[in-house]
Amino acid sequence: MFRLRLAPLRAAVMLAVGFVLLRVVYRVVFGGAGAGLGPVLLDLPRLQLDAPFSHITLLGPITLLGLGNAALSALPISAVIVFFGLLNAIINVQALFARGAGRGPLRAISRSLVIAWATFPALLESVRRVRVARALRGERSIASLLVPVFEQTIERALALAASMETRGFAAARVVPGVCEAPVVLADAGLNFRGDWHLDDLNVTLAPGSLTVIVGATGSGKTSLLHSMSGLFQHFYDGVQHGSIDIAGADRAATPPRDTAGCVGLVAQNVRLGFAAETVHDEIGFALAVRNVAPSIVHARVLELAARLQLEHLVDRPIEQLSAGEASLVAIAAALVNHPILLLVDEPLADLDTNARERVCTVLGQLAHEAGVCVVIAEHNTSEFALVADAWLQIRGSRLHEVPLEQVLTTDDTEDTAPKSNASASAVPLASIRRLSVRHKDHLAVDAVSFNVPAGELIALRGSNGAGKSSLLRAIALPTAADTVIVAGHDVHSLKRRTRRQAVALVPENFDDLLFAITVAEECRRADSGLTGADTAQTFARLLGFDTAADATPLFERHPRDLSAGERLCLVMAIQLAARPALLLVDEPTRGLDHRARSLVSAALFTAAGHSAAVIFATHDDDFAQSLASRTLRMHAGRLTAPIGVLS
Amino acid sequence: MSVVVSPRRSIRFTAWTLTGGSVLAAAAFAWPFFVGAVPADAQVAVPIVAFALIPALIVGLVLTLDREMYTAKTVALLGVLSAVGAAVRIAGAGVGGVEAVFVLLILAGRVYGARFGFLLGLLTIAVSSLLWGGFGPWTPFQMFACGWVGAGAGLLPRWSITTVQRWRIRCEIALLAGYGVVASYLFGLAMNLWFWPFAVGSGSGISYEAAADPGQNLASFALYSLVTSTLTWDTVRAITTVVGIVLIGPAVLAALRRARLGPRR
Repeated sequence: MFRLRLAPLRAAVMLAVGFVLLRVVYRVVFGGAGAGLGPVLLDLPRLQLDAPFSHITLLGPITLLGLGNAALSALPISAVIVFFGLLNAIINVQALFARGAGRGPLRAISRSLVIAWATFPALLESVRRVRVARALRGERSIASLLVPVFEQTIERALALAASMETRGFAAARVVPGVCEAPVVLADAGLNFRGDWHLDDLNVTLAPGSLTVIVGATGSGKTSLLHSMSGLFQHFYDGVQHGSIDIAGADRAATPPRDTAGCVGLVAQNVRLGFAAETVHDEIGFALAVRNVAPSIVHARVLELAARLQLEHLVDRPIEQLSAGEASLVAIAAALVNHPILLLVDEPLADLDTNARERVCTVLGQLAHEAGVCVVIAEHNTSEFALVADAWLQIRGSRLHEVPLEQVLTTDDTEDTAPKSNASASAVPLASIRRLSVRHKDHLAVDAVSFNVPAGELIALRGSNGAGKSSLLRAIALPTAADTVIVAGHDVHSLKRRTRRQAVALVPENFDDLLFAITVAEECRRADSGLTGADTAQTFARLLGFDTAADATPLFERHPRDLSAGERLCLVMAIQLAARPALLLVDEPTRGLDHRARSLVSAALFTAAGHSAAVIFATHDDDFAQSLASRTLRMHAGRLTAPIGVLS
Repeated sequence: MSVVVSPRRSIRFTAWTLTGGSVLAAAAFAWPFFVGAVPADAQVAVPIVAFALIPALIVGLVLTLDREMYTAKTVALLGVLSAVGAAVRIAGAGVGGVEAVFVLLILAGRVYGARFGFLLGLLTIAVSSLLWGGFGPWTPFQMFACGWVGAGAGLLPRWSITTVQRWRIRCEIALLAGYGVVASYLFGLAMNLWFWPFAVGSGSGISYEAAADPGQNLASFALYSLVTSTLTWDTVRAITTVVGIVLIGPAVLAALRRARLGPRR
């Protein structure tokens, strides 16, 4: 309730002083500072105004007493200002919102305020990210900063809303779940805006089983999962045919909020869905919105934290969690109501090996020891080989139950892209000289040096945190002179426009570079100021079309409505507009499936023809081997194998 | 079992509550001009009543709207957008009082409607005041005035002429920019109105005088408003709003509208 924060008090004092000064100025200007008989400090001429302002006289003599009176008369209101500043400094209003957010007549507004509060750190982070992105694109317009930040914010709002909805926020009634039949899909079909459909769904899942849904990106793993959570029908406006019964409730008629007691959901990007300020409140959220007594919520939170070994995190602010911890907290939050069915969307995407193992073990235990029906959508299939009971694969618009071996083999096939057979010339196109990057007290890149011959397609490999992304960013935006030389120019000394002709980077979070409302406008924007650039044409080529005309339907769409693979190609085309000598691409295959990966690999190959050399960072062994003409390996900020030539 | 209130009736009820509340609030804003109509003994109480009325009205209207806003999507969007608004306001205070927050209020009010716009105005001011520390007796007045700005944008006419998309967007942006200019100046006037007697105090040429005829007070107020805000802050605000709406309006409108539609795939 109470705490001391001096900033509001300081602000109030400043305001109060300003108010007194302003009052004195008014008196001086509008002829009121001449009261009393004291000595006249300054005798200004009186100016009488014309009608309708004839009652007003400007200026006039100024006396010390007059000034004093003016200042004194402002004191009561100044005192009020300071008083409010004091209140603001000692009362913790945030704590009040958090209390009001659970219950009471102002719970909607209070919850909004809690969310607003929690959004600030994310906003700052977002601004930081987008600033780098627009420097990479060579943009300086205000829209290129504000629009991506705004898009990220809206994305956060939607993820948050979905997570609150599935945890019973604003539920009007509670559906008692039927434990025996967690999932029954009978002759069901799903359709989304005519773009995507899935037919003939006949699935029955038993309690205590773990099922993994696999399929290509865009095949609709997430949509199928959300047809069970109810978000597909009730949040994203998808259309359902046939019957889908979840824990005995008819999904078409029951919104997610009403089944929060028996269905738990762990969303794709768990951080976006956090609705509370501390780990404790986050885990207890679904109970708090149901008006469960705080002592019961507390006991339940501690019980779950103990079960998932998260006791040490309970009092931690939600933004201080690592990726693995955040996943486990989200799982705990989904379990707080003892669900019959637990739905998990791509839980492994951002995790390192240790965290992956832990999440897999936890999910396996939930199914096989606690008897929960667990359904996971995931394309990292091998991790679940030990714990999964059944595999469902989406192919075309049908769902097939497949044995484990088939899942693993279909996932591993990779069509090999043609290898670059460029002749390495004697003079290197680019040389990196003792390039270092320091993040606070940690050296992310440690004096890295290497040469890039023209015509190469180089893979940059290494584990998480090895410094790959830092290295690529430092090559694109060097902070010291003479560290990056491309085609004879020191990149550090180049201007914004000319830098784009030397080196361009497609960052991992490539969406941050997009800020127009149509693809066509995005391309025009990239062409502006460049002679002979045709980004639309490049984009069409990267997608495998012969001319821009073949891709016409894509150009009228909103850039963010494109698929992930298409968006990546768009950003690559934008970054190729100035024909950079060196193109850098960070993690081009992250989150992409087999088909999108072949699209990107062909695009990278095409891109190598547009620029003189390409360096791409990747985790993906097959992808790197099928494409790269050389490999650079990085470990702890250093190159371990300077330009290793592949056999 | 839950009681199902017919949505139509409940919406009409909140519409009346909102209108009634706004009329009362407008009267409280214009208190200096009502003092003359009150018996002499009660005149001292008028500003106090006005000061108490605004927060009371805010609480009343928020209570009315709270039920209606109680869906996950609305609450999340309201929370996140008011954080953006507050951040814009605080960042703006750092660069010479450039008030860009109207851009957000107007665009969001346009897409999500008058009620959402009203609440967004209230919350943006509440969050930024609490965070930055500029909280005081004026905050409820600011909240109300910003709420009106957002609500007004939600009440602007909509048209469904099937013209070329590009022209439709341009017309909409022009309409919103025009509204932005009007709103900027009206906001300044409304905020000056209730505060003017306190800002100037008594004894100067443009002071508020309870006993004087309304014409003289109006002239004094006009001059006060002109020199304190209309020519300076309000003009800066109007320009910022227009520039902001023209620069990022189309993209922000598209983002807000897409949020209503569906998932990103």
